[in-house]
Amino acid sequence: MNFFSQFGIFSNSMGAVLINPSAMLLLFGSVFMGIMFGATPGLTATLGVALLTTLTYGMTTNLALIALLGVYVGGVYGGSYASILLNIPGTAASAATALDGYPLACKGEAGKALGLTTTSSAIGTIIGMLFVVGLAPAISKIALQFTSFEFFLLAFFGIIISGTLTSPDLVYKGWIAGFLGLFLSVIGRDQLQFYPRFTFGLSDLDGGLDIVPVLIGAFGIPQIIQVIRDSQKPQETKKFTRILPEFKTIIKNIPTIIRSSLIGVGIGAVPGIGEDIAGWVSYGAAKNASRHPERFGTGEVEAVISSETANNACIGGAMIPLLSLGVPGSPPAAMLLGALMLHGIQPGPMLAIDHPTFIIEIAAILLLASFAMWIIGIMLAKQVVNLLRIPTSVLMPIIAVLCVIGSYSLSMRIFNLFLMVIIGVIVFILNEMGYPIAPLIIGVILGPMADQNLRRALMVSEGSFLPVFTRPVALLLFLVICLTVLSQTKIYRRVLRKFMQRISKKKT
Amino acid sequence: MRKSILISVLIITLITSFVFGAAEREYPERDITTVVVWGAGGGTDVINRIIMAEMSEILGVNINVINVTGGVAGSVGMNDAFNRPKDGYVLAGMSESNVTSAVMGGFNNRVDVWDWFIVGGSPDVVSVGANSPYNTLDELIDAAKANPGSIRAGASGAGSIHHLNLLAFENGTDTDFNFIPYDGSAPAQNAALTGEVSIIITSIAEQAQLIRGGQLKPLAMLEPEAFTVDGLTIPSSFTNYPELAQYLPLRQSIGFAIAKEAPQYAKDKISEAFKQAMETQAVKDFGKNNFYILAGLYGDEANTLMNNLESSFAWTLHELGSARVNPDSLNIPKP
Repeated sequence: MNFFSQFGIFSNSMGAVLINPSAMLLLFGSVFMGIMFGATPGLTATLGVALLTTLTYGMTTNLALIALLGVYVGGVYGGSYASILLNIPGTAASAATALDGYPLACKGEAGKALGLTTTSSAIGTIIGMLFVVGLAPAISKIALQFTSFEFFLLAFFGIIISGTLTSPDLVYKGWIAGFLGLFLSVIGRDQLQFYPRFTFGLSDLDGGLDIVPVLIGAFGIPQIIQVIRDSQKPQETKKFTRILPEFKTIIKNIPTIIRSSLIGVGIGAVPGIGEDIAGWVSYGAAKNASRHPERFGTGEVEAVISSETANNACIGGAMIPLLSLGVPGSPPAAMLLGALMLHGIQPGPMLAIDHPTFIIEIAAILLLASFAMWIIGIMLAKQVVNLLRIPTSVLMPIIAVLCVIGSYSLSMRIFNLFLMVIIGVIVFILNEMGYPIAPLIIGVILGPMADQNLRRALMVSEGSFLPVFTRPVALLLFLVICLTVLSQTKIYRRVLRKFMQRISKKKT
Repeated sequence: MRKSILISVLIITLITSFVFGAAEREYPERDITTVVVWGAGGGTDVINRIIMAEMSEILGVNINVINVTGGVAGSVGMNDAFNRPKDGYVLAGMSESNVTSAVMGGFNNRVDVWDWFIVGGSPDVVSVGANSPYNTLDELIDAAKANPGSIRAGASGAGSIHHLNLLAFENGTDTDFNFIPYDGSAPAQNAALTGEVSIIITSIAEQAQLIRGGQLKPLAMLEPEAFTVDGLTIPSSFTNYPELAQYLPLRQSIGFAIAKEAPQYAKDKISEAFKQAMETQAVKDFGKNNFYILAGLYGDEANTLMNNLESSFAWTLHELGSARVNPDSLNIPKP
C-alpha cells in the first residue's frame, strides 16, 4: 500500500464519520463521557472503556471503535480538570499535572492552565496518532516471523515487563500479580484439547473466566471501597477567567510539546506501562531541560503542558504494540484489546493481513477524537467541574450499579456478578498489600496467548525448546526477557555500577 | 334440560374451536426472538440475521436476533433459549458445533429436543501455503505415507468440525498427520502462511480471501464435488481416494432450531416461512458470494442430519478423551 492509497483510506474513513450524524453524536458523546470519567477522582479512562465495551457490543466495529477511542482520549485528558482545580488527580495519568496546575489555579490562572492543557492534549494525541501510522506498518513487516514460540515469548514478555514497571515497591510483587493473572486465565476448558482445568466440576467455569467482569471487578470494586473508606471530599472550586488558550504560549512551548510527545509515544509503546508514568517522566524531563527548574512546583506553565501532552501522546504509543503485536501498551489499551476481540478483531502481527485498512481507520478516529476533545474541552471546562460537587454518597452507588450492569449485560450470567465481586475483593486486598493490579489484568488477558502458544509450539517442535535459540525473533525476545529479569537483581546493578566506574576512570 | 345441555356443549365446542382456530390462524401475533448462541459477526450470527430478516417479512412480525454466548459449545445460549417459554416465539440460532454441548456437560438434553432448520454451510478444503512443495493432493499423500506423523496439519481445536474433517481425511487416505490445534480457523490459516504448519483444513468461506490473494494453494475439496473460486477449480478429493466417501462429507450445518414441544401450528408456519426465505434472492446471493452451499433442510431430513452429526462428534470426542459425559449414557448411537 503506497502513501496515497493510505491517505485515501484515511480521509475516506474520516469523511464517513463526518457525514454520519449518529457517528458524530457518538464521537462527541463518548469523548464527553470520557472527560467526565477522567475528571471524577476514582473513575479512570480504563473504567470508562470497560463500561463502554459492554454498551457498544451490539454496534458495528467502526462505531464501537469511535466510542471506545473517544472515551479513552477524553478520559486521559479529563483528569487534568480535577488536578488543576481541586489538587486531586482525576486519574493517575494527570497526577503530575496537579503539581503545577493547582498552584496556577490558586494564582487565579485556572482558566489559562485548562486552556493550555486542552490544546496540548489535543496536539499530543495527534502526534501519537502520526506514530501509529508511521511505525505500525514497519512492525507489521516482520509479522510473518511470528510463529507460536514468538507469540509465547511476546506474551510472557508483556507480563514480565508490566510487573517490572508498575510495582510501587518490590518488583517481585508485580511478577506475582502477573503470574496470578496467568493462573486465572487457565481456568476453564483449554481451547486446544478441550480439557477442563481448575473447574472443580462447575459447569459455569467450563468456559473460563469472562474478561469483562474480571476487569470491572479489578478496577471498579477496589476503587469504590477506597473512595468510601477515605471519604474524599471535593473542595470548593476557585473561580477562573478565560478558557481559550493563548496561542503565543503554545508556540513558545513547542519544544516542550514535541519532547513530551516523543516521551509519551515511547512510554506508551512499552507494553504494560501507561499514561501515568508517561506524565511523570515527561514532567521530570521538562524540569531537567528547563532553564528555571526551581520554578517547577510553584505553578509553571511548561510543567502542566509537559505532563498533559505526554499522557495523551501515550494513547497513540500504546496503540503501536496493541495493533502490531497484540500486546496492550497501557491499562486502557488492555481493555481495548478485549473490546476488539469481542468484535472479532484479533490485533497482532496478522492484523495487517487480516484487516489491511484497520490501523489507518484507528488513526482517523484518533484524529477526530482529538478534535472533538479540543472543542468539548474549550466549551465545557466550566460545567464539567460541577460533577465534582456530587457527594460521594450519591456518586459511588451509581458507579456500583454501573459495575453490576456492565458485568451482567455481556453474557447475562448471574455467575459473572459473583465473579466480579470475588475478583474485586481479592484485588482490593492485593492493592492494600502493595501489589499492582495492571500486571494481574495483563496476565489474565495475555494468559491464553502464552499458554496456548507454548503448548502449540512444543507440539510443532515435538517437545524441543531449541527453536527459541535458532529463530532470530524468538532469540531476541528471549534475551530481552532475560535482561528484564536480570536488571532487577542486585548483582546486575552492582556489576553495572562497577562497569560504569571503570568507563569513567578510563575517560579521565 | 337435555336440550340445554346440548346447546351448552355446542356453544363450548364452538368457542373452543374458534379460540384454537384463531390462535392457529393468527400465529405469529407478536415479535419472535432468536437467541444466537455464538458471537455477533460470526458465521452463525450472520446467517441467522439474514434468514431472519427474510422470514420476518414473510411472517409479518419482527424477529429480534440476540446473542447469548459462552459456556461449552454454546451451552449458555442453548440453555437460555431452551428455558424460555416453548410457545413458538423463541428460536435458537445454532450450528453443527452445538451438538457436542451435551457430551461436554453443558446441556442436559440431546439434539432431538429441537426441530432443526439448516440454512447451509461452507465445505472444507485441504490447502497448503503458496511456497509449499506439494502441488497436488497425490504429492501430499505420498509424502505423508513416506513419513507418517511428520507433516504438520493445522485446524481449529480438538473436536471442531475441521478437526473431524482432518480425522476423516486421515482415515480415508490411510495417512497420519501431526495435528496442531489452533484457537479458530483464522490463526490456523496464518500459521500456514508463516510455515508453522504444512497443510490446513478450514472451510472454503474462511480461505476464499487468501486463495484469491495467492497466499494459499488449495489442493482438494473434502466433498464429492469439485468447487470453483473465481474461475479456479478445486478438484474433489474423492476422485483419487474413493474410500473417503465412507467418512465424508462432514459439512458445517448452520441454521436455527425451535423447541420440539412448541405448538405444531407455530412449527408449520416457521417451516413454511423458512422454505420461502431460502428461495429469496438475498439468501441465494449471500450463499453465492460467501461460498456457502445452501441446504434449506427442515423437518425429518434436518433432524436426521443433526442426529448423525451428534453421533460422530460425540463419539469422536469420547475416543479423544475430551468428552465429560459418556455418549452411551445419553443414548447417543455410535456412528
